[in-house]
Amino acid sequence: MVTRAFKELAILNVAKRGMPHLRITFTPHPVAAKTPEQLRAYIEGNDPISGKPMMKEIVDALTVPLSADEKKTGLVEVSIGPPKYGPDTPKNLQQFYHDNGMTDFLPVIIPTKEEVAEMLEATSHKPDELVGQMAGGAYPPWSYTVRQVAINAVMAGCKPEYFPIILAIASSGTPSLMSSTNSFAYAAVINGPIRDKLNMNYGIGALGPFAQPNAAIGRAWTLVSRNLANGGIPGDTYMGSQGNNLNYNNLIMAENEAASPWVPLSVQKGFKPGENVVSLFRGLGIVPGQGARGTSTDTPKYEEQFSDLFSVFTGFFGGLVVADPLIAANLKDRGYDTKDKLIDWLYKNTTQSVKDYKSRDFAYGFDYPRALKGLEPYKTWYAMPDDAVIPRWPHRDDINVVVLGGQTNAFFQGGSLSYTVSVSIDKWT
Amino acid sequence: MNRRKMLSLLGMSPALLAGANAEAQQAKPKPKSAAATSSAYQVEGLNPKGTPPPIQLIPMAPRLDSLDGKTVWLIDTGFEGGGFLLQQIQLWFKQNMPTVNAVFRRKAGPYMEDDPALWQEIKAKGHAAIMAIGH
Repeated sequence: MVTRAFKELAILNVAKRGMPHLRITFTPHPVAAKTPEQLRAYIEGNDPISGKPMMKEIVDALTVPLSADEKKTGLVEVSIGPPKYGPDTPKNLQQFYHDNGMTDFLPVIIPTKEEVAEMLEATSHKPDELVGQMAGGAYPPWSYTVRQVAINAVMAGCKPEYFPIILAIASSGTPSLMSSTNSFAYAAVINGPIRDKLNMNYGIGALGPFAQPNAAIGRAWTLVSRNLANGGIPGDTYMGSQGNNLNYNNLIMAENEAASPWVPLSVQKGFKPGENVVSLFRGLGIVPGQGARGTSTDTPKYEEQFSDLFSVFTGFFGGLVVADPLIAANLKDRGYDTKDKLIDWLYKNTTQSVKDYKSRDFAYGFDYPRALKGLEPYKTWYAMPDDAVIPRWPHRDDINVVVLGGQTNAFFQGGSLSYTVSVSIDKWT
Repeated sequence: MNRRKMLSLLGMSPALLAGANAEAQQAKPKPKSAAATSSAYQVEGLNPKGTPPPIQLIPMAPRLDSLDGKTVWLIDTGFEGGGFLLQQIQLWFKQNMPTVNAVFRRKAGPYMEDDPALWQEIKAKGHAAIMAIGH
């Protein structure tokens, strides 16, 4: 049984999983936040798609003998179409890519054989080498080669020297377009000398549209997710109710390592200083710090301001502090001489009541089942009284810190973003 | 692959998607041929798509002759509201088909995690199962 809002998703999902004739009964939508009487009316009414009485349809689904089609077995190959399009004018091809859902609906660079060949020169890996697999939705993953990644990097406007970063991201299998009905956002933190080699912006306006590598690398991640993983098809592989503007080119964060008093994120994740690394995050987005409090005094206490900002997040995703170097320097002067000390303080001092925690849909859908399985800290949290106070995040390492910005303002932002993985860029040069 | 073509290959009617709100990947015109355009400058663009896996068709389980005296499991995946809907269905069976033993169960773990122990229990103790997702 599926609610009617997910009709297309359900039909395509069962088809792609080899059960195209699975018998599905649809209900009105939504079923959440309805009274028993309203739900009773649903089931005593008709399937809104078939128009048949819902309970009769359910009983029939369990008792009407199978048709020949429903008994079929075999393997069905799925084609992605011809290897190239045209010849045609660039304008017509541009429109063709848009019309067939292969872009973000902004102009793309036409991926000609010559452009793609130039991109492939930027890596030692063979064009036909398998890079990885990625699932753009709740489906079996698609696979892709170095050449297929290069085509998307060209379309996004990447220079060839950006290509190892795109390959590293693609090799992680992490799409930047998530099928969830929430509207997810993604971030990539880049560390190492490649930031300077590519002229990435980690100074003034680091998160704005002011540098080609920052813009194009993030955009390529979205096109990779769209084309190599079949992600981002509304109603099919993308169900985010409102969508997320960050999905255009994601949050690309080149850490300002020179101005940071702390070790780079990549070193925290086990890589050596000087290695080129991309670290990926997934969550709901990022919120500006509303202007720093206390900067006109000698004790601004930025850690408390971070904590205040995170207190509006659910805690389901991790907390990502994105701090200007001015803030990082101040915190170091006040005793936070490592990122870990700051993270420790935030974990212990950003709290919530058990009642608030339990009231969240995320807790009901994800943590409560974990508590029933005996997993900690969920088991303990669910056994505590409503007025007990618990940390905002289940684990200390749910919090991460990145330093970037141009030191024009002691500014910070807070991401509701969970760390997922770090990947070597050098491996893909 | 065009989604309607895929459904056709699998023996399903593409009309199933009628009225769907998604517009991407529908059948769209191909680029005009060289003869159909007046521009002198033309190029070819490569296909940016990845490679989907083949689809292994799985036959449906045999159906029951009747639900009389049978045990039907109602499985809540954990999405909001799905469990309450299934509990109404359980009540409906009790009132309208009392010979059916309708068992309600929320699967273990979050919705995206498998629960093989429950599937084995259903195979051992049940005759049919209905899964419902909410939202």
